[in-house]
Amino acid sequence: MLSQLSKEKWTYDTAAHLAARAGFGESPSRLEQWTQQGMEATIQQLLHPDNDTTPPPSSIVPDQFAELREQVRDATSPDEKMQVRRALRQATNQQLYDLISWWTRRMLTTPAPLVEKMTLFWHGHFATSALKVRSPYKLWRQNETFRHHVLGNFATLTKAISRDPAMMVYLDLQTSRSQHPNENFARELMELFTLGEGNYSEPDIKESARAFTGYRIDRFEQFRFVRNQFDGGTKTFLKQTGNWNGDQIIDIILSQPAAAKFISNKLWKFFAYEDADSRLIDKLAGLFRQNYEIRPLLETIFSSEEFYSQRARDAIVKCPVQYVVESGRTLGVNLPGGRTLFAVYQRLGQVPFYPPNVKGWDGGKSWINTATLTFRYQLARQLVLGIRLANEQPAKAPLPSPSAQPSPLAEASPSAQAAPMTQTASLRVRNAVRLPALQVDQLVTEEDRKDPEAAVRKIYARAFQTTPDPQLFDRILDVAKLKPLPLADDAIRDLVAFMMMTPNYQVC
Amino acid sequence: MSQEPDLLTRRHFLRTSILGAALSWTVPIFVERTFSLLNAEAAETTTQIATGKDHPILVVLQLAGGNDGLNALVPFADDLYYRARPTINIPRDKVLSLDGYVGFNPRMAPLKNLFDQGKLAVIQGVGYPNPNRSHFRSTEIWQTASDADKYVKTGWIGRYFDNCCNGEDPTVGVTIGSQLPQTFTAEKSTGIAMTPGGRLGFGKEADASEQQIFNELNGITQDHDLSGGASIGSLDGPSEPKLSAIEYLQRTALDAQVGTDKIGAILKRTKPEAVYPKTPLGNELSLIARLISGGLSTRVYYTSQGGYDTHNAQENSHNNLLGQLADALSAFSTDLTSKGIWDRVLVMTFSEFGRRVAENASKGTDHGTAAPMFICGGNVKPGLYGNHPSLSTLDQGDLIHTVDFRAVYSTVLNRWMKAPASKILGQDFSALSFV
Repeated sequence: MLSQLSKEKWTYDTAAHLAARAGFGESPSRLEQWTQQGMEATIQQLLHPDNDTTPPPSSIVPDQFAELREQVRDATSPDEKMQVRRALRQATNQQLYDLISWWTRRMLTTPAPLVEKMTLFWHGHFATSALKVRSPYKLWRQNETFRHHVLGNFATLTKAISRDPAMMVYLDLQTSRSQHPNENFARELMELFTLGEGNYSEPDIKESARAFTGYRIDRFEQFRFVRNQFDGGTKTFLKQTGNWNGDQIIDIILSQPAAAKFISNKLWKFFAYEDADSRLIDKLAGLFRQNYEIRPLLETIFSSEEFYSQRARDAIVKCPVQYVVESGRTLGVNLPGGRTLFAVYQRLGQVPFYPPNVKGWDGGKSWINTATLTFRYQLARQLVLGIRLANEQPAKAPLPSPSAQPSPLAEASPSAQAAPMTQTASLRVRNAVRLPALQVDQLVTEEDRKDPEAAVRKIYARAFQTTPDPQLFDRILDVAKLKPLPLADDAIRDLVAFMMMTPNYQVC
Repeated sequence: MSQEPDLLTRRHFLRTSILGAALSWTVPIFVERTFSLLNAEAAETTTQIATGKDHPILVVLQLAGGNDGLNALVPFADDLYYRARPTINIPRDKVLSLDGYVGFNPRMAPLKNLFDQGKLAVIQGVGYPNPNRSHFRSTEIWQTASDADKYVKTGWIGRYFDNCCNGEDPTVGVTIGSQLPQTFTAEKSTGIAMTPGGRLGFGKEADASEQQIFNELNGITQDHDLSGGASIGSLDGPSEPKLSAIEYLQRTALDAQVGTDKIGAILKRTKPEAVYPKTPLGNELSLIARLISGGLSTRVYYTSQGGYDTHNAQENSHNNLLGQLADALSAFSTDLTSKGIWDRVLVMTFSEFGRRVAENASKGTDHGTAAPMFICGGNVKPGLYGNHPSLSTLDQGDLIHTVDFRAVYSTVLNRWMKAPASKILGQDFSALSFV
């Protein structure tokens, strides 16, 4: 169990499987390169990537909009108050749209795809929503905290998150004091972040909540410990008695066998498949529990026979973020930013920085229902033809696709009448601006256009990231053969959209 | 509510998408099936036939986050309430009394009107033994109707679908929103989730062969549809968790195509006949009213109102939520009354738990246990049911439930849906008399 995949089993398809799971898919030439260099070198490259030099989102700073908040406080009439509130809400929403675009762009262009994929994993694990937190700065900082620890140590990461201002707001830690400890964080720490339900008692929650008192956030949105709000008394937690503080509580939690199991199982489910054999999870957990280092755990997963087994192939429904990013990364469609991107994510069922609740996204088959699948298919065509943007004011550039030159065409900025985040943002707009359509030349040569089979082979390799499945390939070739030769730009785009509108494109 | 994206105009879609081709041979399979055939099936099983015209309809409304029952249905005659909640109580003189002991939060005045008109029942102290205070676990318990220490994959409404509904019709359950609740999880038909304006199709002026290939790859074939229907009434059919990811996608594509087409046709010819508040819940209930009046054969609609997890400064936020709830339900009642179908509809609210009796240090309340459920409809037997939980005898600071939520489900299933409750719930619960 979990023995290493033998060298002769490493092929183009296994490389592609790894690329989709540990990242967001790769170009055929990159996959060739991975095939040649072998599994170990490829995994090492993923685990020790080049630095991603993406600059931080420039407009986001601590204690932003302090002036607007003061104005809300000082407003003399209800009308004025409402007006300033609205301005504050709009300014905040706009920055949140920017933040979502910033991360999406980073995932699209990164030389460290596993780092971004794991950041997405931890974001879903330590779920924190902008709906409650609101502050773009806190949310960006949390995102960086994940990224910093992504391949590091789980104990260190958990402690960092307990002091993370966004999490502290989300689970009410910053109002917890010795006289009245708030149990929200303590409960979710055990139930969702480390142990799983059934591995602790209600008194354990009450006792540990006392240890996470005195955690505060200063006006520059940084963590601060306030000793006189901290309950330094004796606590009995998971049968151990002492004057525990928050970090010690986390250490006690992680000394429970359930913790390593819980995280190992979740990672296996995220990267490989659901309902794994419990012996496999036990083996992973045994390894993880030694020191809670994340890198060796991932290395074991990515080099195992089981990870590349038939059971794992096509077993995972791509999450909306992957659907969007991969379409840009592998097919080269132009992705929108700003409010359009927000609306797209919303209708797909996953908005980064807006998990539905502290449990994060359920994932798996729950990504797909009649509403979200219908929208995926509609979106495929929009992305290929150039999506219409949710506003007329030209402002920012669209997200560049890695293989294409950034388009000179303008992208709209979030609307001044931005809908409240609680409602489904509308994609219908007047005088809409479109992003440029997919650049067909990135996908096929002039020669390919004269030969439907060659053209389908090129596009297929990007869309499905594997060597062709004969049945699927033939059906798509049948579609290509219906079109006049040489294949025009729109015919190629049609084929790309067609492939995106299959069940096979939704899985990896 | 969202609008249809500008992919193509709707007319263009209708004319050229796969729907044009597929309608002729997919939809009629269950729409035009003769009643004698369906009735013959029904005689063999507990399958219920819905005509879209006379069957009872249930609307399940989730108050997500844990509704603070004590500030919604206020035990204003009890000093212990005011002692436990010095800063966030509802003042005695503001409470809309129902029986001299409990009364509604003043923001629920429209519900008080429904109560007075005899269209609202309130079940007090609803919960279950060994209450779980996790949002997710407790929601799961309510949605699957399991014991607190048992894990069940299917939802209670899903099991109703499996037992009583024709497995061919994906619109048997409709959720407004983009996520299906676990309540609907079934072995066979899980119902559909909808956001208005969605439509599945290749959506282009493609020739018939191209559309056919799209259908094939997405599992939208006549054979597939028939095999779905063949398992009616049999409980050991293919269970959803066993479908591969691709099979699951194919089944969803088929459901989407059939369901959204029927819904699209109904929305074209219906409109609201009441003024709804401009809130998400108001929009959603307005949509449900149109679907019911349009004759969709749906038995159960599901929607939710979020925001009830009031750990912090809850006074305004909680009151607003209750106000939005009451306003939306009141408009729904007016709308369905003027459409002449309020008698066929039963709305049932639930929340995963109530909240602690004592307020916390942040002028909010933490996760608790029992809370009231609200049931309204044209045919409801009004009044207060169950006993209000004691404020003096508590379990670790929490209310002790007086009514098991499954007794409410059992009543709804048996008396309203005419379904075999004990089979669906796996246990017997004594019925209440609110319907």
